[in-house]
Formats: sequence, structure tokens, C-alpha cells
Amino acid sequence: MNTYETIAKLLAEQKDMDANDIRPDMTFSDLELDSLDVAELVMNLEDELGVPVEIDESLRTIADLVQKVDAGKA
Amino acid sequence: MINSILVSELGLQYPIFQGGMAWVSEANLAAAVSNAGGLGIISAMNLNAEYLRGQIRKCRTLTDKPFGVNIMLMSPFVKEVAQVCAEEAPAVVTTGAGLPNLYMKDWLSAGIRVIPVVPSTAMAKLVERAGAFAVIAEGGESGGHVGDLSTMTLVPQVADTVDIPVIAAGGIADGRGAAAAMMLGAVGVQCGTAFLCAAECAVHDNYKQKVLNAKDIDTVVTGKRLGHAVRSIRNPFTKKYVKQEYDPTCSAKELEALGVGALRKAAVEGDLENGCFLAGQACAMVHAIRPAKEIIETMFTETERLLKGAPAWVR
Repeated sequence: MNTYETIAKLLAEQKDMDANDIRPDMTFSDLELDSLDVAELVMNLEDELGVPVEIDESLRTIADLVQKVDAGKA
Repeated sequence: MINSILVSELGLQYPIFQGGMAWVSEANLAAAVSNAGGLGIISAMNLNAEYLRGQIRKCRTLTDKPFGVNIMLMSPFVKEVAQVCAEEAPAVVTTGAGLPNLYMKDWLSAGIRVIPVVPSTAMAKLVERAGAFAVIAEGGESGGHVGDLSTMTLVPQVADTVDIPVIAAGGIADGRGAAAAMMLGAVGVQCGTAFLCAAECAVHDNYKQKVLNAKDIDTVVTGKRLGHAVRSIRNPFTKKYVKQEYDPTCSAKELEALGVGALRKAAVEGDLENGCFLAGQACAMVHAIRPAKEIIETMFTETERLLKGAPAWVR
């Protein structure tokens, strides 16, 4: 499972939605995620992948998050 | 005296913060709380850098004790008020409505203790990692913006999650609440509603009367549909808002517009019909207009008595 698929899976579980409805270009706002949801997602991701993810203002879309996680893995 | 890191590290006499409430927590109230031995907090609310700088400087003329500033991260002026904090360096910055990580480096470099309000363990962990001195775990009993968890469940879970101090908020207005908060793992408390009726609080008299007349079931949470729930005292405004909130023909934009300026109408104009009187569930525990010093001293006399009496519960 690649990073994007992991994020989509965790988000689908967290927000009770279909992973197929999630696209990389979607913003957190499109997905109706508030700061609380994003914090939750990031902590779940860290638990799943064992990679620390720092949140900042540049994080807007799922693709941004994928990039951040992959950079942390490298 | 309560043995708390807030006393030893922040130089307070009592481990109590006065919450940063928009249109309520200005320099006079903050200074009165700080002079009484707690931590007074100025709200930057939705106003600009000039307002905040003026308030900080005014507060410095009224007290030589430490005080804080509350930054509402959804403010349209958040960047400029964050910068004012870095320049003016109040002892503490508390934050609400989001993650403050973007601004934390500047605040920490200025020697400020950053203490974000967190509604979940995940948020607590993220701000701890970014260098927060402590967190304020605020349960949904509080007034204003509220999360889903109660103080009773949130505080111990946050205390279990982070290694930094936890301050409890939400529903605390007397010594029983403060003593209970410490049993839950907190090192102190933050109170907002309890200070709405402080003699030094400049909020409109009608607002104070709404709090004094409130009963236990008189608050309501609105705005969940928009993703930012707030607790306030029931009145014609909340009745109208709730009706619109559950009306599918009312758009989110219309609903949003309905709330604009409503807090100002309550706090500044005392508009009983159209104002939004933010207050927590503890409003029914506030019975009189009293100086901040008396509010704090009464609370901690009771807290100390209760904590000293704790061994009586164990055979």
C-alpha cells in the first residue's frame, strides 16, 4: 500500500466515508476536515507508518500530505 | 498554597488562568486577575495588531504581574497579532481554534510560554512536539467554541498523552471544580464564565445579568452544522438560530451571516434580542458580581480545604 492509499484508507475509517471518493487534489476543506480532524489523521498516520509528520500552513491537500509523509520517509 | 508548576514556573499565586473571551477579556479584567494572583489573559479576538498592542501596553500600566494573550487562530488578523505577541512578549500566549505551530517558533524565540487550548489528545500531542509549555484541555461544558468531549473525559486522557502540564477548562467555577481538575491530572484551571461577572469585567450589565439569572439547563450549543459549535445562553437569538440551523432551505452562507456581530451586540450593546451571550454550563454557578480577587480567593480557599480533606475518603 503506497502513502496515498494509506491516507485514503485511514481517512475513510476516520470520517466514515468511501476511500474511492477521496482524490489527491482534494483540499481538507473539500473533505470537510477541520484542524481537529487533520490532527487526528496525522497522528493515525504516524502510528501506521512510524514517520513523524509536521503540520504547517502549506498542507492544504491530500497530495500535500502524501508529499510531506514521503519526504519524512526519505 | 496550591503546589503547582503554574505557581513555581509562571510566578502565579494561584494556578488559575482567566480565559481569553472575545469582547470580554480586555486589559482591565486581565490586569485585575493578574493582580489577584492568577493569570489574566487579553483576547486578541478578531481585531488588528494596533488594538492588541494597545491592550498589552495598557495592561502593563495596570499590573507588574505576568499576564497572557489569547490568539484566535481563525482571526483574519492572525498573522499580524501573532507578530505583535512576538514583539511585545507577554509571559504567556494561549491559542484557540486551530493549531498554532506556524507561529510557535517566533513566540518561543521571544521567551513566551505557549499554551494552546486543545480539544483532543491528537492536538495535544502535536503542540507538545512543537514546543508548547503546557496545554489547556477544554471540555465542551465551556462557553464559546466547544469540542465534543467533556472536561471529565478529556483532561485525564490528555494528561495520559503528553508529558507537559495540563490545565483543565470547561465547567469549572468554584473550588470543587478546581479540586476535581487536579484529581483528573491537571496542574491548574482556566475559567471564563466565572470571570464574566467580575466587577472589573467591562462586559455590558445585561450580559452579567443573563449569567446571574441563568439556570443549569439554560445554555445551548449552536453552529454544529457549520463545523464550529458554540455554547451560549438561550435567548431569542439562539431560538432563531436553531430554527435556521435545522431548516434545510437555509444555506450555510445565510446561517453564517446570522451569527456575524452577534457576540458584539451582546457584550458591548447588551442586546437581549439579537445578541449571542456566550457562556459555559457553569453560568448557573455564578451568583454575584464580585472583584476578581474575591472570585479567585474564594475558589482556592475551597480547593485547598477539599484537597486537604481528601484522606477522609480513604479508610
